[in-house]
Amino acid sequence: MNDAALEIQGLAKSFRVGFLGRKTRPVLRGLDLSVRRGEVFGYLGPNGSGKTTTLKILMGLLRPDRGSARVLGEPLESPAWRHRIGFLPEHPYLYDYLTASEYLDYTGRLFGLPAAVRAERARDLLGLLGLTRSASLPLRRFSKGMTQRVGIAQALMNDPELVLLDEPMSGLDPIGRHVVRDLIVDLKGRGKTVFFSTHILSDAETLCDRVALLRSGELLRVGRLDEILSVDVAHMEVLVSGVPAGALERLPGVLRRHAVGERWRLEVEERGLGAVVGAVGTQGGHVLSVQPARQSLEDYFFNEVVASGSLDQAWEAGD
Amino acid sequence: MGSGRLTRIAAVAANTFRESVRERVFYNLLVFAMLMILSGLLLARLSIRQHEKIIKDVGLASIDVFGLVIALFMGVSLVSKEIERRSLFPLLAKPLRREEFYLGKFAGLALTLATNVAAMTAGLLLTLWATGATPDLRLLQAVFPLVLGHLLVVALALFFSTLSSPTIAAVATLCLVVAGRLSDVVRNARTVLPDAPAWLVEAVYYALPNFRNFDFKDRVAYGEAIPAAALAWVTLYAAVYVGAVLAGGVLAFRRRELH
Repeated sequence: MNDAALEIQGLAKSFRVGFLGRKTRPVLRGLDLSVRRGEVFGYLGPNGSGKTTTLKILMGLLRPDRGSARVLGEPLESPAWRHRIGFLPEHPYLYDYLTASEYLDYTGRLFGLPAAVRAERARDLLGLLGLTRSASLPLRRFSKGMTQRVGIAQALMNDPELVLLDEPMSGLDPIGRHVVRDLIVDLKGRGKTVFFSTHILSDAETLCDRVALLRSGELLRVGRLDEILSVDVAHMEVLVSGVPAGALERLPGVLRRHAVGERWRLEVEERGLGAVVGAVGTQGGHVLSVQPARQSLEDYFFNEVVASGSLDQAWEAGD
Repeated sequence: MGSGRLTRIAAVAANTFRESVRERVFYNLLVFAMLMILSGLLLARLSIRQHEKIIKDVGLASIDVFGLVIALFMGVSLVSKEIERRSLFPLLAKPLRREEFYLGKFAGLALTLATNVAAMTAGLLLTLWATGATPDLRLLQAVFPLVLGHLLVVALALFFSTLSSPTIAAVATLCLVVAGRLSDVVRNARTVLPDAPAWLVEAVYYALPNFRNFDFKDRVAYGEAIPAAALAWVTLYAAVYVGAVLAGGVLAFRRRELH
């Protein structure tokens, strides 16, 4: 069995722009990517980096200028893999004259599922996504977050092997994000492959086995987070209280200090930590917490984007 | 066509019909009902033969106009609205081919039109019965071709809406409907434009959808029986024309990039 759930080779796409579409603007520039079966893969990039365009090409909504892809071992053009995948588009618009149950039933019919299976799956998914009580309300009465959760439910109606989600956390409140994060972890636990695009990097850090970083239609980096991010401690973060501001200025090893209400958050060199903790005690203050600060994905991403071009360039392409 | 394909087309058609019901497309039936009641009341003083003829005329003309309006306006928005709102994106990622979606949409609107016309026809027959006239089932010989004409309007509206905006599609479809209803004017164009090449006039005449073919209203209102051969011919004409326009629409829709 092919180990890759998704293989993309040399995928390129340009959009026509300007008067009569005489100019073209490249959105994807020869993308190569492979997603292994059973992994949670984060597809990251700023707005306009080409994430949505990639997904639209994979789903057959747009035609690539060149390049090819295989989904679950089948060529992109083959209809066979469509029975085995689920897809959530960005900002899904679902038929607002239907109820959530009716919408899921409709999508289940497109897979040829029997009525009993459709009813059971719809009930289970709506329960899993916290929508049981709203199942018989028309979708026009749903909030953005509730619509997003129905969108995720429809992507799972056929119990797919590969789930492709375009900005799945968009519009969700903290509870909704927690539910969806748990759902992605559960899917991975059941051996499913999850490919999701996001620009919320904390979600990717929490969930992903591997990530790809995209900028202006080009792949910056692909790999495990521990391969991409530095594991070295950048500095220590020390939260203290009861110390006058003047006393902190004189402490050796303090790189920066930030007032947090009555407290102070200090960025301290690792080797100067003992001296700072001792000095805080001497001044009559309290050390509330000490945490090592490592490079986050957000730090890495911002540095890469800024290092390899301006912010304008980062946003230049259109999704 | 496999059963899977038919199942998916039927699913899209059923959902399109449900959309029509929930979006209150059938409210036109209330207006039709009022028209029929008013006709019955206002014409009660006329002789039975006069008012029977007028009620048939008003009823058949209303069925034609209401059907045309629904076919035109729902036809142009049916697929274009789905593209604009991107509601078809999650569906096309499933084992639903674009042509299945397109044909399902057509079938759903056809079912909506047929149901609407059936209700209006029942209302017309009921009005005739309530005003003392004979509910003449031969009215169906006029109603059936009208439905065929409406299906052709839906096919044209769908076709244009896959190529352009709903407004342009509505104008283009309406132009073709008007031209098709005035096809005799086109055929006799050389009496006004004698320099026009005869082959061109003939070509335009035969290429235009001839909506006069579907109009048996006057003959039926006068009690004339329509030969089965005439109905068979107009059915064949509609099938070929609708089939050709649908095929063109499917090709255009398959090529369209969905941003």
